[in-house]
Amino acid sequence: MVKEIERAGIPVVHVCTVTPISMTVGANRIVPAVAIPHPLGNPALEAGEEKALRRKLVEKALGALTTEVDGQTIFE
Amino acid sequence: MRLEMGHIYIKDIQFATESKIEDGVLYVSEEALKAVALEDEKLKSVSFDIAKPGESVRITPVKDVIEPRVKVEGRGGIFPGVIAKVDTVGSGKTYALKGMAVVTAGKIVGFQEGIIDMTGPGADYTPFSKTLNLVMVAEPVEDIKPHDYEAAVRFAGFRVAVYLGELARNLQPDEVKVYETLTIKEGILKYPDLPRVAYVQMLQSQGLLHDTYVYGVDAKKIVPTIMSPTEIMDGAIVSGNCVSACDKNPTYVHQNNPVIEDLFAEHGKTLNFVCQIITNENVYLADKMRSSDWTAKICKMLDLDGVIVSQEGFGNPDTDLIMNCKKIEAEGVKTVIITDEYAGRDGKSQSLADADAAADAVVTGGNANQVVILPPMDKVIGTLAYVNKIAGASEETLRADGSLEVEIQVITGATNETGFGYLSAR
Repeated sequence: MVKEIERAGIPVVHVCTVTPISMTVGANRIVPAVAIPHPLGNPALEAGEEKALRRKLVEKALGALTTEVDGQTIFE
Repeated sequence: MRLEMGHIYIKDIQFATESKIEDGVLYVSEEALKAVALEDEKLKSVSFDIAKPGESVRITPVKDVIEPRVKVEGRGGIFPGVIAKVDTVGSGKTYALKGMAVVTAGKIVGFQEGIIDMTGPGADYTPFSKTLNLVMVAEPVEDIKPHDYEAAVRFAGFRVAVYLGELARNLQPDEVKVYETLTIKEGILKYPDLPRVAYVQMLQSQGLLHDTYVYGVDAKKIVPTIMSPTEIMDGAIVSGNCVSACDKNPTYVHQNNPVIEDLFAEHGKTLNFVCQIITNENVYLADKMRSSDWTAKICKMLDLDGVIVSQEGFGNPDTDLIMNCKKIEAEGVKTVIITDEYAGRDGKSQSLADADAAADAVVTGGNANQVVILPPMDKVIGTLAYVNKIAGASEETLRADGSLEVEIQVITGATNETGFGYLSAR
C-alpha cells in the first residue's frame, strides 16, 4: 500500500514495528512503532503517559512526511 | 551429556477400572485421569475420549499434543520447572510411550485453532492422525480470567501425561536408543575432522497463546542460550501456543524434534553435533535485534562451522529468521534455514515477509495457504462452533454437507518447521 500510494505521487510515512520488513518492501520514510500487538500505544503506561507517547509518534511521523529524503530512511 | 531413551510401544488404549500398561495396551481409569486433571481448582469438569487412527473422528480446537514420558534414572523429572522441580534434565534414563499422545482440546480462550482428522485427506496432513490419542476436554470454573484458563488447561495436560508416563516406570522398554553429546573440548579432540554443527531453534514467544516455556520460564523473557540437545527429550521445552496450528510446535514436537533426531543420527559420522541454541521471537524490535545479535555471537564463540535454524510460526518471525541467518552468516558460520510459506492460495505471492541474499539454503515445510476440503466426520471431539473464524478459514468454510473448505494452516502440524509433517516434493 505504501508503494502504491507513493506511485500516485503522495508521500507516505510507514509507521511500523518491524522496520527491517518495511525496508525490504521498499518504504522510503519509516518511523519505528512501539510493538507488534500495539504499534501506536503502550498498555503498560498510565493514560496520560500513553497519550504523550502517541502524540510524539504522530508528530514524528508528520515531521518525517515533510522531510526530504535521499533513499530509504528510518526516523529513529 | 548422555541419555538413554527407552521406547515402550502402545498398540491400544482402553478405558478400564485400573490404570496399567500390559502387553502394549494402555488401560486407563477415567476416574483417576479426572482426579489428576481436576487437581487445579480453576477447572470445573473434564472429559476424556479415545481417538484411534482410521476412525471417522475430528478433534478441534486442539491446544497441545503431549507424549507421556517418565524419568527412570538421572537428575530431575519430566517437564522440569513446570511439573517436576527445577533441575537440569537430559541425562540418565527416560522411557517414552510411543505410538500414543495426550491431546488437549475443546474451547480454550480467544482463538480456537487446530484440527486433527483421524481419517480422510486431513489425516494425511497431520502427524497426529497416526497416534492413538487420549483426548482431554476441560471446562473452567465461571468468571475465570482467560489467561488463567489457558494455563490451567496447559498444566492439566502435562499432569495427565506425567501420570500416564509413570505407569511405565517399572516396565522393560521394547527398544533403547542412546543419545550423547560431548563437551566442547572432548568433541574437538574426538572428531577433529568433522564439521562442528549446532541447531538454532527459534521459539514462538509473541504473547498469550503464542508462548513457549523453557524450564518453566516464559521464552519471551529469555536471552539466547545453549542447551544439551537431550534436555528437550525430558520436556525442558513445552508449548503454550496453537494459533495457526500448522506451523506451531506442540510439546510432542519439542520432545521428538526431528532436527535433533537427524543431527544425532549423523553425529560422529558426517558431523559433530555440538549443541542446541535456543532463541525467541518477540514483538519488540529491540528484542529481535538483541536475540539475533546474541545467537550470532554464541555461534561465533563456539567456533561452529554450520547451523540449522528452525522457525516457529510466520509473519513477523520471518524477520527474526532472516536476522538470525544474516548475522550468523556474517560471522562466517554457514546456515540452512527451515521455514514454511504463506504464498497465497495460488502459491504466487511472496512466501516470507522478509528476505536476504544470505538465506541461500532454505527448506520449506509447505505452503500453509493451500486449500483442502475436509469431509464431515461421524464424530467431533471438542466443537465446530468456531471453525469459520480460525486462521485459514472463512465464512464459507463450513459447507452445507458438513465438509470444511480450509487452508491447511488450520491443521495441527501440517507445515511444521522442524520437518515433523508429511508434506514433501518427492
